[in-house]
Amino acid sequence: MPETGYPWPIETTRLDNGLRVVVSEDRSAPVVAVNLWYDVGSRHEPDGQTGFAHLFEHLMFEGSVNVAKTEHMQLVQGSGGSLNATTNPDRTNYFETLPSEHLALALWLEADRMGGLVPALTQETLDNQREVVKNERRQRYENVPYGDAWLRLLPLLYPPGHPYHHATIGSMADLNAADLATFQAFHTTYYAPNNAVLTVAGDASADEVFALAERYFGKLVPQSDIPPAPDGTQVPATGVPVRETVTADVPAPRVYLTHRTHPFGGPGYDTVTVLATLLGSGRGSRLYQRLADGARLAQPDSVGAFGVDLAYAPAPMIVTATARDGVTADELEAGLVEVLDGLADGVTGAELDRAKALLTTGWWRQLASVDGRADILGRHATQLGDPARAADRLPGWLSVTAEQVSGLAAELLRPEDRATLTYLPETQEEAS
Amino acid sequence: MTEPGPILSTERPPTGAARPYTFPRVVRKAVAGGKVVAAHLPGHHLAVAVLMLDGGAGREPLGREGLSGVLAKALEEGTTRRDSTAYALALEGLGTELTIATDWDAFQVSVQVPVERLPAAVELLAEAVRTPRLDPADITRVRDDEVTALRMYWANPGPRADAALRADLFGADQRPGRPMDGDPDSVAAVTVDDVTSFHAAWLTRFGTLLVVGDLDRIDLDELGTTAFAGADGAAEPAGPPLGVRTRDERRIILVDRPGSVQSTLRLGHPAPHRAHPDYVPMALAATVLGGAFTSRLNHLIREVRGYTYGIRAEFGHSRRFGRFVVSSGVQTAVTAPALVDAVGEITRTRDAGVTEPELAVARAWRAGQLSVELQTPRAIASALATLVVHDLPDDYHATLREQLLSTAEPAVSAAAATHLHPQGLTLVIEGDAAVIRDELVASGLGEVVDAAG
Repeated sequence: MPETGYPWPIETTRLDNGLRVVVSEDRSAPVVAVNLWYDVGSRHEPDGQTGFAHLFEHLMFEGSVNVAKTEHMQLVQGSGGSLNATTNPDRTNYFETLPSEHLALALWLEADRMGGLVPALTQETLDNQREVVKNERRQRYENVPYGDAWLRLLPLLYPPGHPYHHATIGSMADLNAADLATFQAFHTTYYAPNNAVLTVAGDASADEVFALAERYFGKLVPQSDIPPAPDGTQVPATGVPVRETVTADVPAPRVYLTHRTHPFGGPGYDTVTVLATLLGSGRGSRLYQRLADGARLAQPDSVGAFGVDLAYAPAPMIVTATARDGVTADELEAGLVEVLDGLADGVTGAELDRAKALLTTGWWRQLASVDGRADILGRHATQLGDPARAADRLPGWLSVTAEQVSGLAAELLRPEDRATLTYLPETQEEAS
Repeated sequence: MTEPGPILSTERPPTGAARPYTFPRVVRKAVAGGKVVAAHLPGHHLAVAVLMLDGGAGREPLGREGLSGVLAKALEEGTTRRDSTAYALALEGLGTELTIATDWDAFQVSVQVPVERLPAAVELLAEAVRTPRLDPADITRVRDDEVTALRMYWANPGPRADAALRADLFGADQRPGRPMDGDPDSVAAVTVDDVTSFHAAWLTRFGTLLVVGDLDRIDLDELGTTAFAGADGAAEPAGPPLGVRTRDERRIILVDRPGSVQSTLRLGHPAPHRAHPDYVPMALAATVLGGAFTSRLNHLIREVRGYTYGIRAEFGHSRRFGRFVVSSGVQTAVTAPALVDAVGEITRTRDAGVTEPELAVARAWRAGQLSVELQTPRAIASALATLVVHDLPDDYHATLREQLLSTAEPAVSAAAATHLHPQGLTLVIEGDAAVIRDELVASGLGEVVDAAG
């Protein structure tokens, strides 16, 4: 087992305009991953503009001053590359993985949409992508059972005005009201070189990447006053649990128990990661053993626990299960509560070792591809200030002790700090 | 501070010198009666082992669709040596879970662990596959859990539409005409005897062990000996291609989903099996039509019309049959116009073929994806599985790249003309029937019938 969680080289520089560039060379395959993390997400959206960061992500694929509409996708795929982008409460990232002879093309395309999107942005493009995003909302959140759970959980966990109060997909009303000028201003404000980290991993040297970055990004103008998102680091505990019960067209009762924990990136959140794995990953986990196997309250494939890796406020931890036939939501919730509350009484060394072994494999699995590495480095550079902090993640997990797990449970997973979301089927299932 | 001159480079950069991709060195060995197929990935921390057995969905008896999935779950309910909890703790203590995947052609059981733990993980894998406890009470319970899990899954849009499409293409009385993973009713019909018999028939044979990782640190003979201990029986031929007829007239099958805000579309017709000589030109034609983001379907229906979050078209092939499928979800109000557009693009592609610029993107993308996708041990293992199931040579992926890059426009247009059948499409729409039925009838795309069941 290596001592470090990141045994590949990491080299960094910062261009005069503030763009941070991270390079991690690995010549084992002729493939290169390019990943841009912009420090803007739905946490920056004011009231009435929910969903704008994500809709903007769509607009970034629709052309810029030297790239015609649809040409971005065509050039990357026509070079053999994969590409995509994601938006979450914290940030927006754009990435492509290509055969390495096309590295310069990828950097040129990214620079063109960082520095030259606004003149190319038209009302027609905005209207079209607004419809695409509304269809994304229908497909992913509205048309599937339990699909809106995340949309309901966030306001239970974070009060109005908190940057994580609303979901990244936004509301239909806000999306309908989006106007072109707002998006032009959004780009000017946030898509600046000093608000981004460019990471390149794979078949390229640091010198080569730094030179290309200077050539294509070097003259972009920095933005001097980027407004910060509202401060969400303190979420006052109310001491009163909250709950929401939804009756909907779902096939079985489902319960979510959720808590605010620590922000991603420090020892506290490393403990959350280990705790959630111990609690909810695999057939050997506490939830599986006690609720799926033991008491047989939950459907075996439905039990789970995970932290949501958000960095700018106490991040959510979500524990969930779906009821087996004939089990009520109340019985299932009581079972989940018993298991969750029991963590404060202590965990065993064997449980801890099992969780760490699974996390170790998971870590190396993510780093097995250059795209996985680029994303991890971009995250640590953006959120923790230094890509080399990526090397601390695995050792951080492996150093978590049983006392830290039970201590965190006692401190942060108390019943009075819990937000509970329950889904009930509209009609009673027929006995079969 | 402003800079003089342009801040962006107007010149698109030229392509650099290409460094060729080489598929990892493949090692094939006969060990202890079975076959080991391995790929060398020097320096990787993780290794993957997959035991492939000829016990896929295609081997399931009619009316018991999903049987192999029940067996997969039952394998983890304890072995002759230890109960399910002890088994889970031993395996997960190594850092892996048992991943079991069944498709039409194979039953694959795999582990992924840091390389030094591979022998212990393969021992546990073999223990579950070769000596499962298969206690009748456990089988009955996991069967019931599978029924529930499928009922949950079938509450989503998609499974019912796909089942309606399959039944129409291949016949509900044929195995390929039934859902690959079964449905709640077919799994409910699975008996303890079905499960133990299927295990005895298909999981006691030698099969093939795939190993991917740093082979300098892996003893293939040791792993093969572990995986094949106690195995018996010869391999069974797959059988010839099925030869399925395409229907003469297009039809619309409506699957009611009251209140749905989207209509889920599954449009398709039968297609050749995997070993058909037109495999590469068919793949390229489908990429132009609906594979790449800039494909004809996605461009028109997402980027121009704004009807959908995405739409794709592909040929899916197994050893004995294949199908062409277009999949999407569109806003309810535009269901009929989206269908008209989709059928129009399929027809145009069949009639007029593809253009050289579109084909250039498709070729480069499909060839480049071989390098981009084949980075991880898991991905390489999946590529080895393709070699084994379809009896392909070690240089298959290198050859495939050359074929993708060299196939000319006339061959791709000819494949589109031969293998696309817009007039014989089955158009399955899962949506709010009360809202969309009249529009579908008025569209003139085909007779509208309601899905059975």
